[in-house]
Amino acid sequence: MSTLAIQDLHVSVGDTEILKGVDITLHTGEIHAMMGPNGSGKSTLSYVIAGHPHYEITQGDILVDGESILDMEADERARSGIFLAFQYPVSIPGVSVANFLRTAVSNVRGYTSKEAESNANGVIGSNLMPMREFRRELNTKMKEYNVESSFARRYLNDGFSGGEKKRTEVLQMAMLEPKFAILDESDSGLDIDALQVVADGINKLATQDRGFLLITHYQRILNFVKPDFVSIFFGGRIVTTGGPELAVELEERGYKWVEDEFVARAVAV
Amino acid sequence: MTVLLKEPQEIVDAAAGFSQETVRQASAAKNEPSWMLEFRLRAWQTFESLPWPKPTDESWRRTRLTGFNLENFTPFAVPDGTVERDGLEPVLLNALEEMESSACLIYRDGGVLYSEEIEKLREKGVLFTDLQTAVQQHPELVQEYFMTEAVTPDANKFAALHAALWDTGSFIFVPRNTKVELPLHAVLFQGERVGGYHHTLLVAEEGAEVTLVDDLMGAENALQASVVELILKDNANVRYMNLQDFQHTAWNFLTGRAVLGKDADLRWIQVSWGSRLTKAFLDLDLRGEGGHGELLGLYFPTRRQHIDHQTLQLHRVANCYSDLLFNGALKHRARSVYMGIIKVLPGAQKTDAFQRNGNLILDRSARADSIPGLEIEADDVRCTHAATAAQVEDEYVFYLMARGLTRPQAERMIVQGFLQGVLDRVPVEAVMRKLEMVISRKISR
Repeated sequence: MSTLAIQDLHVSVGDTEILKGVDITLHTGEIHAMMGPNGSGKSTLSYVIAGHPHYEITQGDILVDGESILDMEADERARSGIFLAFQYPVSIPGVSVANFLRTAVSNVRGYTSKEAESNANGVIGSNLMPMREFRRELNTKMKEYNVESSFARRYLNDGFSGGEKKRTEVLQMAMLEPKFAILDESDSGLDIDALQVVADGINKLATQDRGFLLITHYQRILNFVKPDFVSIFFGGRIVTTGGPELAVELEERGYKWVEDEFVARAVAV
Repeated sequence: MTVLLKEPQEIVDAAAGFSQETVRQASAAKNEPSWMLEFRLRAWQTFESLPWPKPTDESWRRTRLTGFNLENFTPFAVPDGTVERDGLEPVLLNALEEMESSACLIYRDGGVLYSEEIEKLREKGVLFTDLQTAVQQHPELVQEYFMTEAVTPDANKFAALHAALWDTGSFIFVPRNTKVELPLHAVLFQGERVGGYHHTLLVAEEGAEVTLVDDLMGAENALQASVVELILKDNANVRYMNLQDFQHTAWNFLTGRAVLGKDADLRWIQVSWGSRLTKAFLDLDLRGEGGHGELLGLYFPTRRQHIDHQTLQLHRVANCYSDLLFNGALKHRARSVYMGIIKVLPGAQKTDAFQRNGNLILDRSARADSIPGLEIEADDVRCTHAATAAQVEDEYVFYLMARGLTRPQAERMIVQGFLQGVLDRVPVEAVMRKLEMVISRKISR
């Protein structure tokens, strides 16, 4: 079993503190839903875990199996088993899904030699997963995760609908086989059918050797994906954690209830 | 002492300079008929009468010839004879082996170094020969088309110099309704510190189909003033690739024009990788209704390279289509200039013309100027143009890195992706692969 531990994490952009002491421990085999209103810092948390260079960590730590990952670049974190499914995946014209994914998978699985990694001039294709093997696996997984085979040749997210982008994110996750997957609002902007497909993908991938941090604004996706824990995120920190019933209660009573019940009380203490 | 022995020769070369006498010598060395000597001498007069480009000339405002001096070059090279295939240098052998071709010609030091399979084409009536030979064997064809239809000696100062001193060149003539399946391949390897004037003259008769690849290399500290003439008769179909990969010390001037007849179809890929400075004038001249011309450019200057493309899409008649796409990436202190005009003459109704130039700036000290333009004198046309300059977005890099790509891999992929719009349209797969390798090399350095 592996553990992703976020300890007393404080994060700023410029003079503004966005995360104000986040504590959460995620084990492989668990699905942990994190719910919170817009602007509460949920996306920041996901970016910081993935290693976005834009944020300044002023206090606290992020550990994988006891080792801090804060000094790692985003690509090293990906290779150590962290995956972030983006809320808004960027479109990159001219880069085909297959070409990009082959390089990504080769790196994450260690096909890229140490020399090539440390050498900024390492030539693409020097240590790639064999094409035939890659193709076979990609085709299989595209079928399994409901992504049309034509997407392999299409440019990454270029002209994809919202649902297609999110499904492609799930496909990438399936190919990269991370230990910890952080899903940033993977349900946003999806109609019910697209949501179902994405949720099915997550459920297929939710095995004992993988942990999920499912960041969401709405309870809706939790009708399809059953979390082990639910945390409520508010004002840059987790205000309470419970079981799946917490999501239901939140859905019924709203974020105002959270504010009155947990935030005000915390201030009073 | 050995150093001293070498010096007198250099002094003689420099003193020989460029003059009318040089033109006579160049012609005499090739044993040319008098009509060609006369053509050269007239061109020399044109050269002398045209002023050198000035910074106040619109075409030269952004491309200065600081440091350029004709006297720094030996006026013309003296050929050294031909070799067998196994006598070719690795770089040339490699160029041949990269691509499957119908026939090939290799030029070096002002003459033919090697040729392959050109006799076989003759059985179909297809001529693919060096221009010097064509002058001797097909004077009527050369007189009809050489610098008369497409590019004339007075096009600019360097075209005039070219006309007076042209040395190597390919003459391609594809007769009516004849199809050449595999590409024709011409490779120029220019020597050091010398003037070179390479010519490409392609004539595709009615309904003919041909693909031509020009590979240009070498030219260390040299001058190259080349001319490309593509003449497409009605319904002809031509795919042309000009792959310029000179040393980064070369001064390179190119004047090219394609003339398209009725329903002719051209795709021209212009690649400018090398040279310290390139000024290329590239024209599509649509003379027959239904003509379809594509002009696609790629460039990637690094260090202090300066690459300037100036294009013209000339719609003389109605119902023609032209599509221009030039994409470039720039590194270090490199500079690029793109200037383009879509010109639609009165009566050229239903013109469909596009012009796009995109630049990806990889370093803050690099600079790309883009000046698109329209001159439209017909009222029922569809013409669009666009110019963009972008940087590699941090969010793109982060996205790719978050999936495990290293930063150099991510940047390389984004740059390659940016140029892919042109690469996707390269009609010969081997050429596409070769271009991808150069891009990869350029990104790494």
